[in-house]
Amino acid sequence: MSVSQETETRSGADSVLRLDGIVKRYDDVVALDGVTLTVSGNEYVSLLGPSGSGKTSLLRVIAGFERPEAGRVHFRGADVTDVSPHQRGIGFVFQNFALFPHMSVLKNVTYGLVNADEGAVSAEVAERRARAMLEMVGLSGLESRGVDQISGGQKQRVALARTLVKEPQLVLLDEPLGALDANLRARMRNELRTIRKELGVTFLHVTGSESEALAMGDRVAVLDRGRVLQFGAPGTVYDAPSTPNVARFLNRYNLFAGSLHPDGGFEGPFGKVAAPRVQPADEALYGIRYDRVTVEPENTAADAPALHATFRASEYLGSSVIYFFETDAGKIVESEHHMSLGTPPEYRAGARYTLRWKPEHAIVFG
Amino acid sequence: MTETSTASGAAGTLPRQKTDSTAWLLITPGVIWMTLFLVAPILMILYVSFWTQTTFAINPTPTLESWRDFFTSQTYMNALWTTVRIWLIVLAATLLVGYPAALFIGIFVRSRILSISLLIVCVIPFWTSFLIRVLAWRPMLGREGAINILLQKFGITSAPIDALLFSELSVVIGMTQIYVVFMVGPIAFMLSRIDRNVIEAARDLGAGFGRIFTRIILPLSLPGVVVGAIFVSVMVLGEFATSAALSGRQVNLLGNIIVTQVGSLKWAFASVVGVVLTVIIGIVIAMLLRVVDLKREL
Repeated sequence: MSVSQETETRSGADSVLRLDGIVKRYDDVVALDGVTLTVSGNEYVSLLGPSGSGKTSLLRVIAGFERPEAGRVHFRGADVTDVSPHQRGIGFVFQNFALFPHMSVLKNVTYGLVNADEGAVSAEVAERRARAMLEMVGLSGLESRGVDQISGGQKQRVALARTLVKEPQLVLLDEPLGALDANLRARMRNELRTIRKELGVTFLHVTGSESEALAMGDRVAVLDRGRVLQFGAPGTVYDAPSTPNVARFLNRYNLFAGSLHPDGGFEGPFGKVAAPRVQPADEALYGIRYDRVTVEPENTAADAPALHATFRASEYLGSSVIYFFETDAGKIVESEHHMSLGTPPEYRAGARYTLRWKPEHAIVFG
Repeated sequence: MTETSTASGAAGTLPRQKTDSTAWLLITPGVIWMTLFLVAPILMILYVSFWTQTTFAINPTPTLESWRDFFTSQTYMNALWTTVRIWLIVLAATLLVGYPAALFIGIFVRSRILSISLLIVCVIPFWTSFLIRVLAWRPMLGREGAINILLQKFGITSAPIDALLFSELSVVIGMTQIYVVFMVGPIAFMLSRIDRNVIEAARDLGAGFGRIFTRIILPLSLPGVVVGAIFVSVMVLGEFATSAALSGRQVNLLGNIIVTQVGSLKWAFASVVGVVLTVIIGIVIAMLLRVVDLKREL
């Protein structure tokens, strides 16, 4: 499944945003290297990428703060590449919130309504709409507070309300949960999804966290070195990463280097095994998801694929436990046990075990 | 048990006493210096302004005569109003010239290094002495000066403009050039502290540059304007050299009167003018500080 194919099937009349070969350079550094992406109306898209993948640059190009060297940005069917940000009508929620420090919560939210070059409304209308929006994000009663007198989570909501009150069809969120503590992050995840659904707008949410991307997005786009590697439903991306790097960013796969034979077998640290699912790639890599790896007492029964490894440590995650094993070659292999499958087994540190999985569960690149 | 608690109690108070005494120690040299060389002289000036002045001598018999002279003399009242007028004009001119420059340095220049370099460029005139900076305006503004030569060469005027030098205009030009940097510095500092994302957020919310400037940039830079205005006001109100050098004695500021009176040993009268000037400067600073709460903003 290639990116362009999937994009085309979605690029109907309902597309809100269409990016066409966006290229952005900063001096000699290529931040965006031909990004093509189509986002529909009323959907939550998360954009996953490691730092330096160009995800913030992409948002800034879409918002109009940066001008691409090549490629076009289409918004609601019109080419907006040369339109100034204040005339685009695309909402942007900044990572550091970027609230107006000298204004109250209410004034922050009414600013865009009263001061817009086009479609400004009267102060009374603006205040009514701002109060309604503040109620929606759960900030009623804080209207007259200064923005330096509220907590991080509340600032996040003000930033959101300030953008949403303009009723944009597309809202860009630049790592919106990055500045919040873990507790609040979990709560805001739900709220962001609820608020978006209620308003029926499209969210494009940039994040470096794979769990956040998978949990939030109706669709997930994986960005690496200025290119979209994969764009699809979270389940598809999770189950069938399209490139070795997607598998790496998901942080859920044990990856082994090796070589792919013309007969279809893969030769890795576990010997030569069958490779039923092969993805064309320029790197030969064998991937098996943590939760597909089963642990058995050490035995030599030759039922490949299998790896002999020493148990090192485990990590309790609440809904699952991750076990860390070290192979004789010194590579760490992880196995995940979901709590729903029963009480997690206990292993002896330093003892040897055999790790096994089904060949059809592996994803092979080459 | 009792022993340990006493010990811990003593240990608890000791550092506090120590910081207190350290604080006092730190502030002592400053307090002594300011008392000897600022507070005492000001009180002395205030005292001397009530002394009795005769043509060749002064004695401490208290009298209001110098004060009466000051407020009844047309010359001195004129000097008072000239001082206030020149101050307001120069303040407005430094703001008018300085704010756009600061806006350019603090907001439009994206490179930190370039904006610091530009600020240093603003300070270059200060590498020469004050007097030279003032006198340098004479060959610029004079009848045969650079500006008049250029104006005539390009056919803009047919005869030299005399009003350029030895007039109120030349004093305003000279002072604006000398003091504008004190306006640019604080404003550029405040502007450079504005988070770029805040300006971008305003743009994203649909505001054009005009609305962003009046509602975001200007209010956030106001503390810089106030600090700059205080610098410029204090220096301009006490000025005497620029007007002496560039006005050809046509512009008499309170500062010039003090110089003349001191020169002719009229200490009591010079003290009266000094007290009046100090009070004016105090009022101006108090008014400017009302505009913004600097303690909160800086």
